[in-house]
Amino acid sequence: MTAETRVPLAASGAGLARLMGSTFFVKLAAGVVLLVVWEFGVNAWAPAYVARPSGVIAVLPSVIGSGAFLSAAAATLGSVLEGLVIALVLGIAVGIAMGRSFVVDRLIRYYVFGLFAMPMVAILPLITLWFGYTDAARLATTVFAAFFSIVLNAADGARAVPLDYLEVGRSFRAPRLRALADIVLPASMPYLLAGIRLAAARALIGAVVAEFFISVNGLGFFILFNSRSFHHNQAIVAVMVLAGCGVGFEALLNWATRRYFPWYRRDEKVR
Amino acid sequence: MTEAASTARISVRGAGKRYDALEVFRAIDLEIGQREIVTLVGPSGCGKTTLLRCVDGLIPLSEGAIAVDGTPVHEPRAGVAMVFQHFGLFPWKSVYDNVAYGLRLAGASRAEIGAKVPYFVSLVGLKGFERAYPYQISGGMQQRCGLARALATEPSVMLMDEPFAAVDAQTREILQFELLRIWDIRPMTMLFVTHSIEEAVLMGDRVVVLKGRPSMVFETITVDLPRPRGRQTLGLPRFNELREHVWATLMDEARRAEFSVSS
Amino acid sequence: MSARRLGWTITAAGLAAGATLWEIAGRSVGAAFVAPLSDTIEALTPSVWRALASSLGLFATGFALSVAIGVPFGLLLARMRLLRVALESYIAILNATPMAALIPFILSMMGFGFAPKVLVVFLFAVFPILYNTVEGARSIRPELIEVARSFRSSERALWRDVLLPFVLPFALTGIRQAIGRALVGMVAAEFFLSASGIGMVLQSASQSIDTATVFAAILLVTLLGVLLMELGSWVEGRYAAWRNIR
Repeated sequence: MTAETRVPLAASGAGLARLMGSTFFVKLAAGVVLLVVWEFGVNAWAPAYVARPSGVIAVLPSVIGSGAFLSAAAATLGSVLEGLVIALVLGIAVGIAMGRSFVVDRLIRYYVFGLFAMPMVAILPLITLWFGYTDAARLATTVFAAFFSIVLNAADGARAVPLDYLEVGRSFRAPRLRALADIVLPASMPYLLAGIRLAAARALIGAVVAEFFISVNGLGFFILFNSRSFHHNQAIVAVMVLAGCGVGFEALLNWATRRYFPWYRRDEKVR
Repeated sequence: MTEAASTARISVRGAGKRYDALEVFRAIDLEIGQREIVTLVGPSGCGKTTLLRCVDGLIPLSEGAIAVDGTPVHEPRAGVAMVFQHFGLFPWKSVYDNVAYGLRLAGASRAEIGAKVPYFVSLVGLKGFERAYPYQISGGMQQRCGLARALATEPSVMLMDEPFAAVDAQTREILQFELLRIWDIRPMTMLFVTHSIEEAVLMGDRVVVLKGRPSMVFETITVDLPRPRGRQTLGLPRFNELREHVWATLMDEARRAEFSVSS
Repeated sequence: MSARRLGWTITAAGLAAGATLWEIAGRSVGAAFVAPLSDTIEALTPSVWRALASSLGLFATGFALSVAIGVPFGLLLARMRLLRVALESYIAILNATPMAALIPFILSMMGFGFAPKVLVVFLFAVFPILYNTVEGARSIRPELIEVARSFRSSERALWRDVLLPFVLPFALTGIRQAIGRALVGMVAAEFFLSASGIGMVLQSASQSIDTATVFAAILLVTLLGVLLMELGSWVEGRYAAWRNIR
C-alpha cells in the first residue's frame, strides 16, 4: 500500500485525446510534428543535399512526371508482381504437398527452412553468375525471396485443415485431387494470405537489393543513382513509392483476410 | 473476526451517474449493514454494474456520495474486494499466483502468503490445481479462482459483478451453493449484482430492484428465507412467491419485450 | 518402424541425396557455375570463419541496439495511449517499407565505417520489434487493468504484474521477425557499405569467380541464419504458452 495507489485507467492523455475529438486528428498532428522536425533538423545540421520535406515537395511533380521515373517504377513493380505470381504458383504446389504428405515434408523440410533463413542478399553473387546482370536476375531474386515464405505458410495451412472437413469429403467420396481443390485450398487460404503478406515484403526488398547489385533500371537503381549524384530529394520520392507499395500490399491483404475470412484469428503463428 | 458496531457498512446517498448527456442512474439510496447480502437486479443497461464500480471506487459518481465504514469512497480501498464477471485472471499467472495477487499487493510477507493462499484455494474447491494456468481450467474453475483471490485479502465487503453470468447453467448453480457455503463459514457484507432473479432471491437478504430510464431504486424486497440457504431453499413455496414478486415488479407491459432470457 | 524414426530416415535420405546431387552437379556443370560440395567444404578456411565472426559482431551490435531501443519504446507506447495512437500508423508504414531503400542515403551521408553499417542493421531490425510490441499494447485487455486497480495496484506493480507479462510475447514475436531482417541488413551493409566480414568474402570471391568460396560463404551465412531463427522461435514459444487459448 504505497502512496501512489491511483492508477489511471488509460494513462496520461486519454482525456486529452477525447478532447481533440478523434484519433485521426492525433495522427495527423503527429505526422506534421515529425515533418517539421525533419525539415528543421536537416536545415540546421545537415549538408544542403540531404533530403527534406520542402525539397521533396519541390521536386515531386518533375519526378512523378518524368518518363525515367515511371519506367523505373514499372520495372520494379512489374518484377515484384511477376516474381510473386511465379512464387505463388510454385510455392502453393510445393507447400500443399509438404503439408499433406509426410514423406514430402520430411524430405524437403530442412532445405525449405534453410533457404528461407538465407539472407536474400547473399544469393545475389550466385544469381548474377547464373543469370548475368539482367532483368532475369532480378526476377530470380524476387522469386527466391518470396517462394519459401509461401511454401512454409501454405504447408502450415494445408496441415491445419481440420479433419472434419476432410471427413466430409471422404464421406461424399470426393476424389483426392478434388478434395485438394475444394477443401484443402480454401481452408488454407488465411494462412496463405499471411504468407503472401510476408512474401510481398520480401520480394520488394529482393527487387531493391537486386537493383543495387545488378544496376538494372528500377526504383532501387533510381535511388542509388540519384543519391550518388546528391539528388537526395528525388531519391526520396522513389522511397515513398516503395513505402506506398509495401503499405498497399499489406492493406490489400488485410482487407482480403477480413473480407473473406473474418473468422481467422491473427494469433496464429506468422512467420 | 471482530464484532463491529451495527452501523451500515456500505452507505450510498443520492448517487447519480451521468456520461455527458446520458444519465445512467440517479437518486440511489442504499444502506447495507454488517454481514448483509444485498442483491441488485434490473434490466440490461440499468447501470447496476456501473453502480457497483462506483462503490468500488473505480468510477467516480456524478452526484451523491458513497461511504464504506463511514469513510467516503474515491478510489479502491483496503477491505473491499471485487469479483468480476469476466474473471479477470492474469493468463500468465498460475492459480496460486493469481490468488496470491491481492495479498502481494497489500504487502503480505511470503510466510503469510504461503499460509493463506493454500487455505483459500482449497476453500473454493481448487485444491490440486495450484500450478494450473487459467487457459488449462474451465470457466467455473476460473471463477472459483477469482473468488479465492478476492477472499484471500479477507475483505469485510465483497462486491460481486454478475460473477456467474459467464459460466454454464449447471456450473452456475454449483457455484451459487459454493458461495453460500463459503459465506456461512465467513460471513461478510456483500453487494451482489445479477440479472438472474432466481439468483437474486436465493443469495440475498434484500433484493433491490432498479428500473427506469434513468434507473432508480424502484423497490426493495426483503427476503425472509431462512439461512443457511442451499438446494432446499429452491423448493420452498416462499422462494417461489418472492421470485414471482420480483419478476412482476420488473415486468411491465412496456418492458416485457426488452427483458427476454435473464433468469 | 515408428513414425519418428521413419521421419528421420527420410530426412537423412533427402539430405544425403541433396549432397550427392550437389557433388555431381558441381563436377558436371563446370566449377565456375556450381562448385561441388567437396570444393565448398575445402573453401571453409579459418579466414572465412573469422569473417563470419566479424559479421556476427556487426549483427549483434545492430540487433542489440534495436532491442534496447525498440522494446522500451514499445512499452512506453503501451502505457501512453495518446503517444501510441499518434505514432502507430507511422510505425506500421515504416515496418512495411523496404529499409534496403535507405542504404544509399546512409552511404552518402555517413560514408564508410562501422557506425553506418550498424545503423543499417538497426533500421532493418527495429521496426518489426516496435510494430509487434505496439500490437501487444493495443490488445491489452482493459479488464485486467481494472482488476489491478480494484486491488489498489501501484504503477510499478501494474507494470510488473500486468503490462510487462502481457506485452512480452508480442515483443518476442517482433524480435523473432527482426532476426531474419537483421541478417539481410547485415549482409546488405557489408555489400553496399564498406566491405567486411562474410559479405566481403562473398563479394571478392564472386568477383574472382571463386565459386567454391561463394558457395562456402553462402552456406555459412545460411547456417547462421537457421541457428538464430531457431533460437528466436524457441525463445518466443517459451513465453507464449498462455496465449494458446484466450
